[in-house]
Amino acid sequence: MSQGYPVKIYKEPDLRRSSLVLGWSEDMGNLGRKATGYLNRKLKGEEFAEIEPEDFFSLGGVAIEGNLARFSESKFYACQEHELVIFQSDSPGAEWCKFLNSVLDVAEHHCRVKELYILGTMVSFSAHTTPRELLAVVNSAEMKEVLSQYDLVKDMDYQTPPGERPTLNSFLLWIAKGRNIPGVSLWVPIPFYLAAMEDAQAQKKVLSFLNERLDLKIDFSDLDQEVREQNEQLAQVRSRFPQIDDYINRLESNLMLSEEENGELIKKIEDFLREGG
Amino acid sequence: MGIRLYQEPQLENPILVASWPGIGNIGIIAVDTLRGILEAEEFGEIEPWDFFYPKGVLIRKGVLEYLEFPSSKFYFKGTGGKDIIFFIGEEQPTEGGRMYAEGRKAYHMANLVLDVAEKFKCRRVYTSGAAVALTHHTTKPRVWAVPNSENLIPEIRGYGNTVLMSDIEGRGGHGNITGLNGLLLGVAKKRGFEAICLMGEIPVYLQGLPLSYPKASKSVLEVLSYSLKIEVNLDKLDELDQKVERRIEEFYQQIPLEIRGQLDRLKHVTYAQPAEPGPITEEEEKGIMEDVEKFFKKRGGGG
Repeated sequence: MSQGYPVKIYKEPDLRRSSLVLGWSEDMGNLGRKATGYLNRKLKGEEFAEIEPEDFFSLGGVAIEGNLARFSESKFYACQEHELVIFQSDSPGAEWCKFLNSVLDVAEHHCRVKELYILGTMVSFSAHTTPRELLAVVNSAEMKEVLSQYDLVKDMDYQTPPGERPTLNSFLLWIAKGRNIPGVSLWVPIPFYLAAMEDAQAQKKVLSFLNERLDLKIDFSDLDQEVREQNEQLAQVRSRFPQIDDYINRLESNLMLSEEENGELIKKIEDFLREGG
Repeated sequence: MGIRLYQEPQLENPILVASWPGIGNIGIIAVDTLRGILEAEEFGEIEPWDFFYPKGVLIRKGVLEYLEFPSSKFYFKGTGGKDIIFFIGEEQPTEGGRMYAEGRKAYHMANLVLDVAEKFKCRRVYTSGAAVALTHHTTKPRVWAVPNSENLIPEIRGYGNTVLMSDIEGRGGHGNITGLNGLLLGVAKKRGFEAICLMGEIPVYLQGLPLSYPKASKSVLEVLSYSLKIEVNLDKLDELDQKVERRIEEFYQQIPLEIRGQLDRLKHVTYAQPAEPGPITEEEEKGIMEDVEKFFKKRGGGG
C-alpha cells in the first residue's frame, strides 16, 4: 500500500480474484447506500476496513438524519463466498485523488480486485412507470467487450458542459484505468420526483445486473415486494390527486412540465411517501 | 505529485514570470498575453492529480477516453541576454470551498514553481494580480508594486504609472495579496529569490463581476515589459479591452442614478502627487462604498 494512506484494516479478507462494488451515500434515490446495503445484508458482508475521515471530510460537526447523529463513513465489506468487496462511503469533500487511490489500494493489495463496479444515478424527466435503464461507461475496450452480452446502454457519448465538473465516479474510473483495473460506472436514471426519496425499481435494476454478472444467486422476492409497494403508493397519489395524475400522464406521453408543475409534483409525491401513503 | 519537464532548455540568467487566475484575471491575462506575444515554448508542467478536481470528461461510445485537469504549465523564451520562464496556472488549488489557494497545497505548489526556477538558476520572480481600488473604469489603472526586498524599491520607483503601498492613501504601506499570486512572493523571499508582485487596479464596483479587466492587464504589461526591457505590441489587449469595456458600460448604466453619480466622481481622482489629499474625503469614500455594497446586495451579486 502507498505510504501514509489513512486506511485501517481490521481483518485481512481471504479473497483471491474479487470484484469491487462501490456505492456513495446520499446520491439520488439513495441508490448507493441502499444497493450496497442490500448486497451486504443478502451476502453477509463482513466489515474489514475503513478509511479514516480527517483528510477527506469536513469535521465541523455531525449531520442529523432520522433523529440520529450521523458521521461520515467509508467502509469496506468482504463477501468471501462470492469473491466480492463492497465499499460504502460518503463522497469525500477534499483530497479526492488520495481518497480514491486509498480505495483502490485496499482493493488491489488486500482483496486482489480484478474488476470495479461503480454505482451512480442521474436525473430522469420520464415517469416512474417508464422501465428503468442501466447506462454503462467503461474504462477499457476489454470491459466493453465483457459487458456486451448484458442489457446495458453502452454507447453513450458525453462531454462535460462548460461550467460543470465530472462526477467522482468518472474520476475513480479514470484512476482505475491508470492502474489497469477494468471498471464500469453504472448509471440508473431516477425520475426527478423520486430523487430525494428511495427508488426500489432503480435498486432492482442495478442489483439484477450485478446478480447476473457476478453470479450472486440472490433471491429478490423482498425487493420485488418493495417495488410493488412503491408502485402502489404512487398509484394512490395519482388517484387521490387528479392534478398529479395529469402531470404523470403528460410525462408518460413524453411531454415536459413547467418548472412550477415539476415543483408541485415533487412536493406532493415526497409529502405523500414520507407520510407513508 | 511533482514536476514533469518535457525538455531542459539552456537558459541564461532567466527570470520567472508566474500567474494564476484572480480578480478580473488581470495578472493571468497580462502574463499569458506576454507569453503569446513572445511565442514562448511549453517545456513542463506540475502534475495536477493531487491539487485539483478534474474539469472535464470525454466519453465516446460508452468508453471513458479522457479526463482533463486544470493545467499548471511552464514555458520558456530566450530574449537575448535575459531569458524568461513563464508559469501559468489555470486554477488555484483551493481547499474547503475557498476562492483562493491557501494552506498546505498552496504552499506546496508555490515551492514546486520555485523548484523549477531554482533548477534553471533563476534569481528574480514576478507575479501579478489585481488591486481593488477606488477608481473609475474610464481612467487608466495604475499598477501597485509589492517587492519582497528593500533593495528593489529604488528600481520600482523608476517604473512609470506604478505605486508602492506606502504611496496609497490610508494604507500606510500595508495590505494583503490573497492567493498564490501573493504567496509566491513570500515563499520566494524565504528561499532567497528577489520578487515583485505587480497588481493592476480594478474599480471596486467591478471586482465581483464575472468579467476580465484587460485595461488593468495592459497597465501591468507595460510595467512588466519596461522592467524586463523588452518591447511588446499591445494591440491585441486593446481590442480585448474595447470588447469588455462595452459590457462594463452596459452594466454601469444599470446602476441606479444616485449611486452612479457617486461613482462618476471617481473619474476625477488623480494621483499626480500620491501624498496629497485626494479629491474625495474619507467620509465620502465611506459613503460611496456603502452605496455600492447596498446595490450589490440588492442585486444578489458580489461587490
